[in-house]
Amino acid sequence: MKIQIDHIAKIEGHAGFVADLVGGDVIKARLNVLEGARLLEGILRGRSFEEVSSITARICGVCPVVHTLTSLKAIESAMKIYPSKQTILLRRLMMDGQLLNSHALHLFFFSLSDFFGEKDDLRLIGKYPERAKDALLIREFGNKIIEAIGGRSIHPLTPQVGGFKKMPSEEAFKNLAGQIKKVLAATEKMAVFFSHLKYPDFERRCNFVGLNLPGQYAICEGIIRVNGEKSMRIADFMPQIIEARIPGDAVKRSKWRSEPYMVGALARLNFNAEKLKPRAKKMFSRVKLNLPTQNPFYNILAQAIEMIHCAEEAEELIGEILENGIEEERPSFKIQAGKGFAAMEAPRGTLFYCYDINDEGMIEDANIITPTSQNLGRLEADLKEYLPKLEMKSRKEKEEKIKMLVRAYDPCLTCATH
Amino acid sequence: MKKNILKPSIAVVSLTCCEGCQVAILDLGARFLELTANVKIGDFSLLEDKPEEAEYDIVFVEGTPLTAENVSRLKDLRERSKFLVTIGACACLGGIAELKNYQDKEQRLKYVYKNVEGIENPDIEPVKNYVKVDLEIPGCPINNEEFLWAVKELLAGVVPKIPQRPICYECQLKQNECLLQKGLPCLGPSILGGCGATCPSNNYPCDGCRGPLRGANINNFNESLRNIYGWSQQEIDLIMQRFGMLDDSYPSPPSIRGKMEIKKIEK
Repeated sequence: MKIQIDHIAKIEGHAGFVADLVGGDVIKARLNVLEGARLLEGILRGRSFEEVSSITARICGVCPVVHTLTSLKAIESAMKIYPSKQTILLRRLMMDGQLLNSHALHLFFFSLSDFFGEKDDLRLIGKYPERAKDALLIREFGNKIIEAIGGRSIHPLTPQVGGFKKMPSEEAFKNLAGQIKKVLAATEKMAVFFSHLKYPDFERRCNFVGLNLPGQYAICEGIIRVNGEKSMRIADFMPQIIEARIPGDAVKRSKWRSEPYMVGALARLNFNAEKLKPRAKKMFSRVKLNLPTQNPFYNILAQAIEMIHCAEEAEELIGEILENGIEEERPSFKIQAGKGFAAMEAPRGTLFYCYDINDEGMIEDANIITPTSQNLGRLEADLKEYLPKLEMKSRKEKEEKIKMLVRAYDPCLTCATH
Repeated sequence: MKKNILKPSIAVVSLTCCEGCQVAILDLGARFLELTANVKIGDFSLLEDKPEEAEYDIVFVEGTPLTAENVSRLKDLRERSKFLVTIGACACLGGIAELKNYQDKEQRLKYVYKNVEGIENPDIEPVKNYVKVDLEIPGCPINNEEFLWAVKELLAGVVPKIPQRPICYECQLKQNECLLQKGLPCLGPSILGGCGATCPSNNYPCDGCRGPLRGANINNFNESLRNIYGWSQQEIDLIMQRFGMLDDSYPSPPSIRGKMEIKKIEK
């Protein structure tokens, strides 16, 4: 039997799915990524360190913030530049905005319809108007944080090597502070709503990878943890990721020690649940997820819990800014040759950047490994394991469940191909 | 008569790009939802998973035609649509994927992929070089306020016209300090406004994502950047390449100047 889905909607980018089943065995299960290769890493070579982060932002219109900031961090690491405490704080706040805006989009607009067999979000909005309002409120708040600091929510403008081109105004943070209580309440309502949904039963064994940091739910920095056991520096881990392309599409799929692995909210929660902020932690204990959980569908619920955490962290950081004020800073540094690695937790999982820069500040080598290119191999392995469990279902139901699992990973094929 | 027969059908379609323009449309939030009450959304793949409509009154295309599939999809949409609007720098100008036009694209391909078999690597060209385009809404990403205005005009039966004014017009209204005069390479004077001068307002020199003003003399501007402001041709080229301004600066820039390559690049 052959299962073929030409186009999976409600994900970022274009992909189809094809599987071959003989008897009960799945011979093949793979995602056909229908994105053109923009050759981003190639394009960056010979260009200046000052502009490459604005170029890499354009890898993704949903998560341009994390592409901008991880790119900047890799340059800073190569040129041995250490940003100020204030810069780090503002970047962390931007990343809270990034996770909030992306998760709100994914949870309500991409994944929720799968639980109700609904094809059209506009009808879903009619059915759950309050939750739709919450989702829009959270997304808009995330955008406003990014705008306040970055000047614009899609392809932010102010972040630069060592700091910012323009310092944000304190006025903007006062406005944000005025909205945070409402947003925090909305994230809690969303999480309760998502905790009451029925998640398909599908446990499997898989490797998880994510950032880890003592005392903090790691998003902007940390060391790499695999399955909660091994820890290693980003500069040691990234070169161990083996990227390979299967002929047929332009995506590279990643493996670590010959095995696919999963990055993203579920990996982060599995590693760092005890470091969640209080209200997120309270919700986490309320939803009774036993960690580590091996059910990839719970990536959705993990994102819902992360939204509370990010709103709480945003509240704290905004409070800190309002207390201490914003200091005018002009980044100063020396251009120097070097090789630098960086990783941050994008909404969809760990994003890696590596640059080799010459003494004129020009990029000689670039490598970007996105969350989806890491998750693809694991997702396909999951689909292979999951399909036999759907044996008794109709073809239509099979297709619906396949799409649901794909969307649970929150894949971004534009990122994956870049 | 059923009500929705009177509603115009609309599609928002992505070719190869970051999909940021589609996101910008979604970010209109409640105002976007109000808009959807007056139209029939046929294809908007971020929002729905339904079969396509046979015909569209208006189709919005973001992204660049990079693969053969992109090109055939674009041509098919053109045939089935009364009015085709390109949105964003990728569709209107080529976008950042176009940077490789100024480079040795085969070498860049080999750098990214060990096995290049089956990977399409055409020169990047704007949508208008493939099909007739009825309206362009530029920007990277689009200004969603401008998009909303344009859609409302279209729904009222008017083809909107973006005023041919430079970025400087809006920059001055905002009373920004002139970045060019501060010594930064801002392309504002020769670029089509309408974005609200968001970039210069954030100390980010305009890099031309909305494309040149009609009739702008890019060569003259290039010369002033060099002679008055003291920028080297290499620095100017890097900026002018970013959104394809170089195409308007010289008739066929890569062949005149030689493709940009790094000496140490071969490995």
